[in-house]
Amino acid sequence: MTPFANVRQSIADWIFRASVPETPPVTLVQRRIFILPTRQGYLFAFTVLVLLLASINYALSLGFTLTFLLGSMAGVAMLHTWRNLAHLKLRPGRCDPVFAGEVAHFNVSVETPSQTRFSIAVRRRGDEPVYADIVASETASICLGVHDTRRGIAQCGRLEIFTRYPIGLFHAWSYVDFGLTVLVYPRPDPFGGAPPAQSRSASEEGIPVAGDEEFNMLRAYRPGDAPKLIAWKALAREQGLLTKEFSATASSELWLDWEDARATDVEARLSILCHWVMQAEGFGQSYGLRIPGREIAPARGEAHRTRCLEALALFEAAR
Amino acid sequence: MKAGTPRLAEAPLDVRNVLWLLASMLFVVGPHLVRLATWVGIFMVVVVGWRGWISWAALRAPPRWFMWAITIAATYATFMTYGRLFGREAGVTLLTVMAALKLLEMRNQRDVVLSIYLGFFLVMTNFLFSQTIPMGLYMLACVWIFVATLVGFNRVGRSPTLRERLMPAGALLLQALPLMVAFFILFPRTSGPLWALPQDSRSGQTGLSEKMTPGNIANLIKSEALAFRVQFEDGLPPYRSLYWRGPVLVDFDGATWSMAAFSSQGHMEYSRRERPTKYAVTLEPHNKTWMFALDVPGSRPEGAQMLSDLQLRYRRPINERMRYEITSYLAYRFGENANPPQLDRALAFDETRNPRLVAMGREWARENPDPRVLLTRAAQFFGNGFTYTLEPPTLERLNPYDDFAFNSRQGFCEHFAGAFTLLMRAAGVPARVVTGYQGGEVNPLNNELIVRQADAHAWSEIWVREEGWVRIDPTAAVSPLRVENGVNAALGPIGVIPSLIDYDKLGLLSTVRFAWQMANSQWDAWIVGYNTDRQRQFFSQLGVPSIDWRTLGWWLLLATLAVGSAVTIGLLLHDRPARREASVAAWDRFSAKLAAAGLARAPHEGPLDYLARVRAARPQVGAEAEEITRRYVQARYGAGASREELRTLARLVASFRAT
Repeated sequence: MTPFANVRQSIADWIFRASVPETPPVTLVQRRIFILPTRQGYLFAFTVLVLLLASINYALSLGFTLTFLLGSMAGVAMLHTWRNLAHLKLRPGRCDPVFAGEVAHFNVSVETPSQTRFSIAVRRRGDEPVYADIVASETASICLGVHDTRRGIAQCGRLEIFTRYPIGLFHAWSYVDFGLTVLVYPRPDPFGGAPPAQSRSASEEGIPVAGDEEFNMLRAYRPGDAPKLIAWKALAREQGLLTKEFSATASSELWLDWEDARATDVEARLSILCHWVMQAEGFGQSYGLRIPGREIAPARGEAHRTRCLEALALFEAAR
Repeated sequence: MKAGTPRLAEAPLDVRNVLWLLASMLFVVGPHLVRLATWVGIFMVVVVGWRGWISWAALRAPPRWFMWAITIAATYATFMTYGRLFGREAGVTLLTVMAALKLLEMRNQRDVVLSIYLGFFLVMTNFLFSQTIPMGLYMLACVWIFVATLVGFNRVGRSPTLRERLMPAGALLLQALPLMVAFFILFPRTSGPLWALPQDSRSGQTGLSEKMTPGNIANLIKSEALAFRVQFEDGLPPYRSLYWRGPVLVDFDGATWSMAAFSSQGHMEYSRRERPTKYAVTLEPHNKTWMFALDVPGSRPEGAQMLSDLQLRYRRPINERMRYEITSYLAYRFGENANPPQLDRALAFDETRNPRLVAMGREWARENPDPRVLLTRAAQFFGNGFTYTLEPPTLERLNPYDDFAFNSRQGFCEHFAGAFTLLMRAAGVPARVVTGYQGGEVNPLNNELIVRQADAHAWSEIWVREEGWVRIDPTAAVSPLRVENGVNAALGPIGVIPSLIDYDKLGLLSTVRFAWQMANSQWDAWIVGYNTDRQRQFFSQLGVPSIDWRTLGWWLLLATLAVGSAVTIGLLLHDRPARREASVAAWDRFSAKLAAAGLARAPHEGPLDYLARVRAARPQVGAEAEEITRRYVQARYGAGASREELRTLARLVASFRAT
């Protein structure tokens, strides 16, 4: 970046009041919206000017009407473009974690207070915009995909929301920064192999069958619980959605240890650990995670897995 | 709903949008196709069809070398057709062809936009040919379609429906109308072009010419084109006296009458002038300098000069519609003291041509040179066996008037006027041909006299000692109806020019026709003919006597601001969020107070859950919070609340302290 670009950036930040992150919902009030003619707009102005000269020269009254009609239309179009963006209400949407290398999705939901707004675009700096029509009394969810994710926290950064509708003469835009982030887990290393043998002494039993283990308790349902674990009888008795919890025997406990993941660098180790977590969870085993500075006691289930993956994602990652 | 896919920078153009653009192009070029050379129309249709096919079948655009070749070929064809590349027809042809080629090579949004802007230029070129009401409406439709096409190209994702294209475009144009009108009225007009215009730049080519050969007025008479309109200050003069004086033709070569090569300035010195009549003429552009006035003009409009033979000449060719006020004297005596050179010129003719007519004139003069006697004999001569027709047989080239007077005996005003004038000269009476218009059609709705090319006429003037120049209309001897009632009556009931006759038979139809004419007249006067004079007139009618550019500028700014704010307010009225219910407003304020104290309500959190959390975190405010929550829940979800209860809720919230 040249020094000049730095200055330009800071001037732009000052003009566009870059303040982060904002508390949702953000309504695009008048002072947040900027508008300038597009290249098409300048060309249109030139066209109108030439038409005006021709009208004057040939004393064409209908030429004057054409010129003034087009000129006035451009003015009205500016208001329409501005209005197309004005008063939209933006909220950050859920941004699900992804594994490194996958496409991360930042969601922003947009609502219009009145009529349908056409061709509203949202983009991150440097990315292709995503377009959507914002239909009245519906919430449009605009989903921005980000490629090349790396382990850690993917920042969405400032979003530009803009429109050129209806006739492309003007570009109206606004900036919003919700401070959206997506957690990026390490990429599971498919060649990570199985967890070390000494730790998985009891795992040869294979997939545990319900009933093999000791039924422990009923707990509140959490999203992601396997359907076969839901206490359907309890549901029939109108006790709500409950999940059967089996206590794993101590013998099937498995420790996924940083020291066991043998690899040259941190990311590769994390990838192996990630692979193990996924595998252990897939086999329904109870597993614990031990990485420098963090130890997660053995357990299992979606929530546990998430906790483990988060720990891996955030390992030495700058917040 | 889910968002669309990311748009690629060079996405192929949407087929439906392209078809819209092609249709709008054909639409705007349509009126040109009948005016321009046939190959232009064929070229346009082929190129548009080709382009449509390329889009439809997703083919590749033609290669660049091919585009260059075809461009050069089209330019060459234009040059071969018109002999040049500038001027009205050639220029418009070139623009049309280039617009078509742009369509063919169009690849991306930028090309589309260029094509549409070219389309706006094509709209403008149509006005070079015609500025009538139907053309105006047609072009408005074209602009609408172009804007709708632009709207279509600016919708990303789903291709919009017909309605979704036309409605926004219509709304834009409709909202632009007031400002357009303001600009039209207020924008300062200049007189005269900014740069020199090509000779054929404007319409209005039909009209009288400097020469008269048997046959050329007859062609003019078939044209229904407007020549000028007249508004009389007090009532229409008798139809018989409606001789609109135009070019006076003195020089004669045996077949063709032409204007004097040199004509001196004249003065309107009448020894007798009676029955003055005041009127205003709105003259269509005809690219010549002459103006028309009733015989004989008694005043000189601004910028005009008077020649010695009572011709009114404007200082430059009239290439835009023009309005002038003038007075005429219907009874007059003029030119008793004409100077000898002028009289000599009015006696000259080529002895060797039309020998029989010349011999007859000389014979008559020998028998009795008294002009009155000569006139009587002429009236007898032309009153017997001559027919008035628009389709006279072709006359012998060398001695046309002999052929007419002694063989065919069928002719039109120019034949009669020409033959009569020659006869008089042969008989020693100074005589000249006057061309112009005779009569006109009265629009009963506004009493305006409409004079068309069909009313073109030619008559004679002879010079009589002590009487001066006297108007003689030899056509009247043959066909008195022509002079009494106009050309329709003269030609009889069945159709030499059927379209001119038919209207009169149908009452309703003629009312509609006259209403249409009146609308046209207003349109021409106030829209098409809106120029510096009209602008001044308009403002003086509003009570603003003088107006300068700066004032107009201020007014324009004011109008722009007014329309701009009106449109903005209109747009925002749609946007005003629904007024929140009083209970919701109070609840939001309550939540905001707690949020300020670090207890923000989560978006999904219901009132009772929130209350539980607040009570847990801030037991000291629990009682008030519970009261507020209870009232809110009752107002919103329960039995509702009276105005009084809502006020209580609002008061409780106002006095609530979160800490």
